[in-house]
Amino acid sequence: MMRKSAYSLILATCVAGPLAAQEVGITDTMSKATFTINGQTFTIERNQDQSAQLSGEFTKTSRACPPFCIHPMEAAPGVETVGELEVLDFLKTDVASGKGLLIDARLPDFYANSTIPGAVNVPFSTLDSANPYLGDILQALGAAPIGGGFDFSGAVDLMVFCNGPWCDQGPRAIRHLISAGYPAAKLHYYRGGMQDWLILGLTTIQPASNG
Amino acid sequence: MIRIVSSLFAFAVLLCGWIVYQTANDAQPGTPDVTRAETGDLLNSPAASTAVTYADPTNGGLLPDLSNATIAPVPMQNSAADKILAATNAGATVAPRPAILTDNTTIAQTTAGVLAGLGVQVAAPAPQNPNDPLLQQTQAALSGIQNIRGIAAAPSAPAVPQPGLQSLVAEALKQGQSDAYIDALLNEAAVAGQVSVPQMLVTSDGRVDTAVLLASIVAQATVAAGGQAPAMPDVVGGEGVEVRVVQRADQTEQYRFYTVNPGDSLGSIAVKFFGSVEYYPQIFEANRQILSSPDRIQSGQRLVIPQIG
Repeated sequence: MMRKSAYSLILATCVAGPLAAQEVGITDTMSKATFTINGQTFTIERNQDQSAQLSGEFTKTSRACPPFCIHPMEAAPGVETVGELEVLDFLKTDVASGKGLLIDARLPDFYANSTIPGAVNVPFSTLDSANPYLGDILQALGAAPIGGGFDFSGAVDLMVFCNGPWCDQGPRAIRHLISAGYPAAKLHYYRGGMQDWLILGLTTIQPASNG
Repeated sequence: MIRIVSSLFAFAVLLCGWIVYQTANDAQPGTPDVTRAETGDLLNSPAASTAVTYADPTNGGLLPDLSNATIAPVPMQNSAADKILAATNAGATVAPRPAILTDNTTIAQTTAGVLAGLGVQVAAPAPQNPNDPLLQQTQAALSGIQNIRGIAAAPSAPAVPQPGLQSLVAEALKQGQSDAYIDALLNEAAVAGQVSVPQMLVTSDGRVDTAVLLASIVAQATVAAGGQAPAMPDVVGGEGVEVRVVQRADQTEQYRFYTVNPGDSLGSIAVKFFGSVEYYPQIFEANRQILSSPDRIQSGQRLVIPQIG
C-alpha cells in the first residue's frame, strides 16, 4: 500500500514536472494560444503568478453611470456576443487567415497603453457617419464602393471590444457599423473587453513598442 | 634607307596600336576624334553642356580632359552626343510603362478638388485639415488595418488627392484651355513626375485619361448645380464588347466581356458600362487574376464585366 502510493507520487511528479511551467492554463487542454498574423507571431497565455492581483484603473468598481453604464448581453440584433475562448479562436483562425479583424474600438491613447495581442485600433469615433473618411475605413475592411453605397460581401468579419461591460465604445462602434450597412452576421461583440481579459491574467501588449 | 624603314616601322606600330585600340572600343560609337570635336563644340554651347551635366553629372567634370584623351583610354566613354541623345530620349525609351506617377485617390476626391479650385461647392469630401483628430485617428486606423491585413499600404492614407493635379486642371479650366491642351499638359506633368494621377485614369497605352477626368468634373459640377447624375446605360455596344447569355434551369444569366482597346482606362471602361468612374473598383475586383493594379490594363486584355445592381 505504502509502496503503491509512493509509486503514484513519483508518477504524478514525472507527469506534472513538465507541466509545472504552465500551472495556470487557459483551459484544461490549452495552456497557451499561438498564432501568426501577417508574419508576426503572437502568444497569449495567462499570468503564471498565482498570487497576482490587478492594480490601477481596472480595479475600480463604481464608475459614474451615465456614461459608464452596464451593457446588455447583446450589442445589436444579430450580433453574436463572445467570451475569451471565442476571441482566441477568432484570432487563431479568422484573423490569422485574413478573414477577420479583432477591433479595439477605444480611443488611440487607451489602445497604445495596452491591448489584446493581434487587435487593431479602429476608434468608435472613426466609424461614425460624421467621419468624412469613414468610406476609406470601410474599403480597408474589404467593402467595395458601389455608386453611393458599399457592397459588404467581401468585407471581413469583425470582433469588437473596448474597456469592459461598462464601456459604451464597442457597442457604439457596432451600431455605427450597422448603420453604415455592415452586416450584423459579420460582427461579433466581446463584451468582457479589457476588464475581463485582465482579470483572467491574459497576455496584453503595448502595440507602440510591439508593433 | 634605315630612316625610311624605321619610320615605316613606327607608322606600322602606330597603325597596329590604333587598330587594336579601335577594336577594344568597337562597342563605343564614334571615333576618338569625333568625340573630341563634338565635345569641344558642345563645351562652348551652354545649353548643350547643361544637357550633358544632366545626363551624367559625375562625368561633367571629366569632359575638359577629353581633349587630351586620345592616348589615355579611361575617359573614353559614350560620346557626349550619345549622352545628349539619351537624355532627350529618356522619356520615350528608358522609362518603363507606366511612366506616370499614380496614386489610389478616388476620382470623386480629385474632381471635388478641381471643382473647389474653380469655386464650385461640392457636398462630398470635406477639406482635409491635417490637424483634424478624426483624420489622424482614421489614418492610424487605416495603417493598422492595412498592416495587419498585409495590404500594400498606400503611401498616405486616406488617399489625399494630389493638389498638383487638381490645381493644374483647375487653372487650365479657368483659362478656358481646350481639352487637347489639358490632355497634353497633364501627360507632360505626369511623365515628369510633377503630378500623380488616380490609377484608374491610366490608359492601356500608359497615358492619362484626361477625357474621363474632364467628363467626371463636368458630371459632378452638374450634380452640384442641381442637375441629374449620369444614368447607367441600358445597352452597351461597340468595339470590344461581348455579351454571352447563359440559359440555366429557369433563369437567364448575362455575362459581359470587354476587350481593352488602345487608349482605354479602367475609368473609361467603368463609364462605358456603368455611367460613372466610381464603378471601376468592381471591374478591377472581377479581373484581379489578370490585373495586378488598376493602372496596368493593356490593350487586348479580355476583361469580365461584373453584374452590378
